[in-house]
Amino acid sequence: METMIHSLTALSISILIIGMLIIVFFPEKGILARWNRTRKNTERILIEDALKHIYDCEYNDTDCTLHSIAGNLAISGDRTAKLTEKLMIHGLIESHTGYITLTDAGRSYALRVIRLHRLWERYLADQTGVDENDWHSEAEIKEHAISPDEETAIAAQLGNPLTDPHGDPIPSSSGTVMKQHETPICKLKKGEYGRIVHIEDEPPAIYSQLVALGLHPGMQVRIIDQNDERLTIEADGNECILAPLFAGHIHITPIHHTKDVQHNFQPLSSLEEGEEAQVVAISRKIRGQQRRRLMDLGLVPGTSVTAVMKSVGNDPVAYKIRGALIALRNSQTNGIFIERKEEKQNETTKSM
Amino acid sequence: MKPLNQCEQCTVHKESTFIKYGINMSRYDYLVALAGNPNTGKSTVFNNLTGLKQHTGNWPGKTVTRAEGAFSYRDKKFKIVDLPGTYSLLTMSTDEEIARDFLLFGKPDVTVVVVDATRIERNLNLVLQILEITDHVVICLNLIDEAKRHNLEIDVLQLSRDIGVPVVPTAARHKKGMETLMQSIYDVATGAYQCKPKRLKNISPKASRAIENLTKQLNDIFPHLHNARWIAMRLLEGDQRIINAIRSGELGTIHQEETTQEKLKSYGYETV
Amino acid sequence: MDTKQFNEKEDILTNATRYREEIGENFYDTMLESIYSEAATIAKKSVRQRDDKRIYTLDRTIDRIVTSKVYGFPIMVGLLAVVFWITIVGSNLPSDMLYILLVETLHPALKGVASTIGFPWWLDGLLIDGAYLSVAWVVSVMLPPMAIFFPLFTLLEDFGYLPRVAFNMDSLFRKAGAHGKQALTMSMGFGCNAAGVISTRVIDSPRERIIAILTNNFSLCNGRWPILILISTIFIGSLVPAHIAGLVSAMAVVSVALLGIVLSIVLSWFLSHTILKGEASTFSLELPPYRPPRILRTLYTSLIDRTIFVLWRAILFATPAGLVIWLVANISIGDASLADHFIRFADPFGLFIGLNGIILLAFIIAIPANEIIIPTILMLTVTTLGMHEVGAGTGVMFELDSVSATASIFHTGGWTLLTGINLMLFSLIHNPCSTTLYTIYKETGSMKWTALAAVIPLTLGIAVCFFVAQIWRLFLGG
Repeated sequence: METMIHSLTALSISILIIGMLIIVFFPEKGILARWNRTRKNTERILIEDALKHIYDCEYNDTDCTLHSIAGNLAISGDRTAKLTEKLMIHGLIESHTGYITLTDAGRSYALRVIRLHRLWERYLADQTGVDENDWHSEAEIKEHAISPDEETAIAAQLGNPLTDPHGDPIPSSSGTVMKQHETPICKLKKGEYGRIVHIEDEPPAIYSQLVALGLHPGMQVRIIDQNDERLTIEADGNECILAPLFAGHIHITPIHHTKDVQHNFQPLSSLEEGEEAQVVAISRKIRGQQRRRLMDLGLVPGTSVTAVMKSVGNDPVAYKIRGALIALRNSQTNGIFIERKEEKQNETTKSM
Repeated sequence: MKPLNQCEQCTVHKESTFIKYGINMSRYDYLVALAGNPNTGKSTVFNNLTGLKQHTGNWPGKTVTRAEGAFSYRDKKFKIVDLPGTYSLLTMSTDEEIARDFLLFGKPDVTVVVVDATRIERNLNLVLQILEITDHVVICLNLIDEAKRHNLEIDVLQLSRDIGVPVVPTAARHKKGMETLMQSIYDVATGAYQCKPKRLKNISPKASRAIENLTKQLNDIFPHLHNARWIAMRLLEGDQRIINAIRSGELGTIHQEETTQEKLKSYGYETV
Repeated sequence: MDTKQFNEKEDILTNATRYREEIGENFYDTMLESIYSEAATIAKKSVRQRDDKRIYTLDRTIDRIVTSKVYGFPIMVGLLAVVFWITIVGSNLPSDMLYILLVETLHPALKGVASTIGFPWWLDGLLIDGAYLSVAWVVSVMLPPMAIFFPLFTLLEDFGYLPRVAFNMDSLFRKAGAHGKQALTMSMGFGCNAAGVISTRVIDSPRERIIAILTNNFSLCNGRWPILILISTIFIGSLVPAHIAGLVSAMAVVSVALLGIVLSIVLSWFLSHTILKGEASTFSLELPPYRPPRILRTLYTSLIDRTIFVLWRAILFATPAGLVIWLVANISIGDASLADHFIRFADPFGLFIGLNGIILLAFIIAIPANEIIIPTILMLTVTTLGMHEVGAGTGVMFELDSVSATASIFHTGGWTLLTGINLMLFSLIHNPCSTTLYTIYKETGSMKWTALAAVIPLTLGIAVCFFVAQIWRLFLGG
């Protein structure tokens, strides 16, 4: 009897302790996570964010004032005044009749922060499985915390990338920014083809909607219909409808040659056991290391693939690729576009 | 003063290379690297050549650490280094970096590429990449017995002609073809066989032009470099290791024609 | 001259960047396409497939069975059980024989020689009762099961079965946010966790690799399964009639091994939803063709490469451990030896979580190598209980030739079925050995991950033992 009471007490105490640990350490909602979030607004971070904002204003040719800085950083007017004073003392910004501009030193500081931001976004996209919607917010934190050594290491690991996963150019370590050749998607005429090169990732609310539509740089788009209220496009074979506000966030390069236009958008994952098909393209959604691995296995346009057997739950599936039997997950094969063998035969007979 | 100074630098570089790869070349005439896709029987070939009994298994990526061994053939002694199995040399993974760096900076005299005879097409990916880095290659067409079992007919001579290097069919699990393999390694190492490796074509016109121009520029600065084309391709990939090697001049010291004696000396060993 | 060369070099690099901007980041795609089109041209000219594809059909037939949605998992568990059963049954006799030779015959002989030469008592104790006996024990208990287990496992590996296991289990690992190849690294861990950690290099993505490293410890390594085999024979096997005792003990060992797999999946899920957040990413697994295993060659290589290697490591660590045990049992402070002091101190906590102070001390002494946990426990039990008539003297590591003698020591030491079960659980779930930790440090290059790799399983192990003990006492009493 005594041992029973003893163990009952012990059990309830331990459950209490576990409960408390969960409350403290729970990701995002726990006490520790909340505390970490409030701690973030340190001076240096404010300085860096202010510089970034002023740079953005210059880049987009809009006016930057004390007011816009206060709005962008979500801080009081007083604090903003103190902040800009500090920036001027350090020689990072200049003020002309109320409009604020960057000095050369300020611009190169801002570019470095932007470089770190985009580099980190690229790292998250290429090397980790972090959700697309979280790239920006994670990079917002990380951009203030990367040392020059880490910066070099990350850039080297990624092969000195030129653009971030949204298509924005990554400033080089010496502070030069690559020129983008892009046009807004609205410039395309009905029936014309283009390829998405850049999706603006701010504000997050609009960006996450575009992500939800499945849009990403590298997609082939065709204008189906265009009027004042909406833009109907076909993106990698899927129809989607955009409001003009959203369409303004998407930039493309036109595809001029009809031979560059891709017509098949069936995913490899739709292949049934025993069926054979030919790879036509790999979606740009498959990035970085993942993309390279698939190509190393011989999955390049033109390769014949046969689905051989499916695992429990039909995922992964083993495919015969260039003589080898290779298992791939559906999340990957969804991004590999194929053309089924019999379709191809049909086409040739038709053309004959 | 200057040339002397430069030469000092060379030695430093080579010694550090030597230390990094931990290879004692003092008692060997030639350095052989063993490369290949995972699960092609590379470890078995290695064991057969060296007489070592490393554990082998039937799943890709079994060998993850580098192994070393040695063998003698005729009058020469060969040091052989087993590189991690890789599908490619182009990505940034640790294994591929080890293999790539070794082929480029470790300067093996002969590189043996083990190829799975049942999957030649896929294995050629690695072979063609290695042929861009080095000319002195021997293809070990392993698992030839399995290919026979699977009713594959392989025209070895045709293959050898197309690739431009010796191709030796082997069945390492049954110790078949090893003698011929050693003979081929010997021939390529001593220069009795002159390799005429296949180089890549059909790269898009824009890229080809970039590669050509960069290659020309590289050859101007580093006249001894005979894989400038590959270096150019790496630059287009943004490979930081290569960028650093160009800046430091490490690249310039690769591939200068050296006798083994000189090479050993540069590794810091007195030749006996 | 130097400046000129410097400028030329920088010029190349600037040009390269310019070209990269022009070509864009599709260069890799372009290159791979051209390589493969070249490869296809070459292969087409020299390779011809004659129509008969009988062998492929045989491969597919085997695949259909071992990756079947119905039989896949039972076959896996069954094979594991058979391997363990053969090991348990097969290693009994050779173990006894080695024990008789090394411990019962050679040990007294050595003592005799030592006394003839005139060794002082401490040197004789340190070298023969400490170092020699510990090595003798490790050899007699570990060599036979390893010599059976490794070749069997290697045969499965040679045949090409392991990648199929990974194929079967991938959907589980995917749901846990882990990499499918974790099944392969886990299998390597069944041999040795340090080897398992190194083998995680086959996993490309850093996040999933860390997960695989942190969870590898839940694959029972060869140092730990002798513990399980012995304890399950004593405590579980004795619950059932003798003729099925072997099978039941084997199943108990398999259950613990399966619990390890379940735990590593659960922990993977937990990690990928907390500190290693992210979606499961890249996965490509090559399923090689089946190859008929060459039995003799496998026997030879697995004996040389694995068995001797692992045994050598065990001996290397058992020797100093033997010395340490002898010392802590023989150096006294005040009224008792060092060992006694610690055991008295740790006993309350040990008993609280269903173990005891001796077991805790043994796990600390065995940090360098799990292989020596059981001999340490036995020796410490005997010394603290003053059961001098069983061993040859204080602080002697020994093995008893019959399982029942070992069992009687455990029972005298106050062990219950609960102690046995908790010891089995704690053997599965505790910090990795120091070699593995060092390997983790080398592979991750981070103190943080190394520390986590030790702290997570240790905390989890204590928690599991605690809950089992309390619930056990709640329902079954004492």
